[in-house]
Amino acid sequence: MTTTPSAVDPATTTMISLVGSLADNKGALGRRYGEWAVSAPTIESAVAAAAMAQDELGHARSTYPVLAKLGVAREDEGLAAGHPLAVIDHELDDWASFIAANLVVDGILTTFVASARDSSIEPLAQRARKILQEEGAHRVHAEAWLRRICRTGGGDLELLTQRVGEMWAQASRWPGPPDHPGYEAAVAAAMVADGPEVVRERVRVWLAARFEAEGVEVALEDPSDWEGWDEERRR
Amino acid sequence: MSREHETVWEVFARKAYEEPLHHVGTVTEDDEDLALVSARAIYDEQPWIHMILVPRSQIREAILA
Repeated sequence: MTTTPSAVDPATTTMISLVGSLADNKGALGRRYGEWAVSAPTIESAVAAAAMAQDELGHARSTYPVLAKLGVAREDEGLAAGHPLAVIDHELDDWASFIAANLVVDGILTTFVASARDSSIEPLAQRARKILQEEGAHRVHAEAWLRRICRTGGGDLELLTQRVGEMWAQASRWPGPPDHPGYEAAVAAAMVADGPEVVRERVRVWLAARFEAEGVEVALEDPSDWEGWDEERRR
Repeated sequence: MSREHETVWEVFARKAYEEPLHHVGTVTEDDEDLALVSARAIYDEQPWIHMILVPRSQIREAILA
């Protein structure tokens, strides 16, 4: 359970939401990766999945205390709490979902973290730099599996592009709507360097280029309907 | 999933620069980047400061008793 201070400025309110949700999603991603540590297609990938799970759970564990710096009292609920994206809130159905989560969800979260590397919230900046070091290997893993599945083609590729589309539909909403006043205030206060549009666009360009390099086209539409978007859950 | 045609990489690592590289094991991966990720994940039980991978097919035998 978290207790958010009642009177905080819009920038801090947005950062509380972003940091809390970042930790929630990293915790969920860690659990999802961990579930594949015994059933990945190869022993090498199973070990990599276990290592990535350990990284993500560590990132969640180290990110929650940043909330205290933002005035949020949070009881230690472990790593099974919070409100992650629905696509990673349950066991992943197949290896394509694992790679799609690695590409899309991990991609969005890491791109956000990169925008906090020089944050004026010093504890966030410190954690961001450490997280980015470890995320390098996650990105290499995601890109390598994308290449492998694209070159295999057939049903494997069809399933991967389907899963990427499903993950993108939710994860692309995570940064939030363009021109969000709280996010704009957070950028102005140097709490993060980039707004939601920049985060989304970076991931879209990177992801589309990786697929394009393999001769595969993927449609990564910009989310347009923000009605009902929940800032706390970021979905 | 048959892996008989995949690339086998020999993994070498050392814990100090003054030490020689030691053979620590192998990984089987066609993709070079995945091989690097796998090697770091699998052989992480020691605080290595240097790790290299060599494709087994590139090794030349100088002596074979």
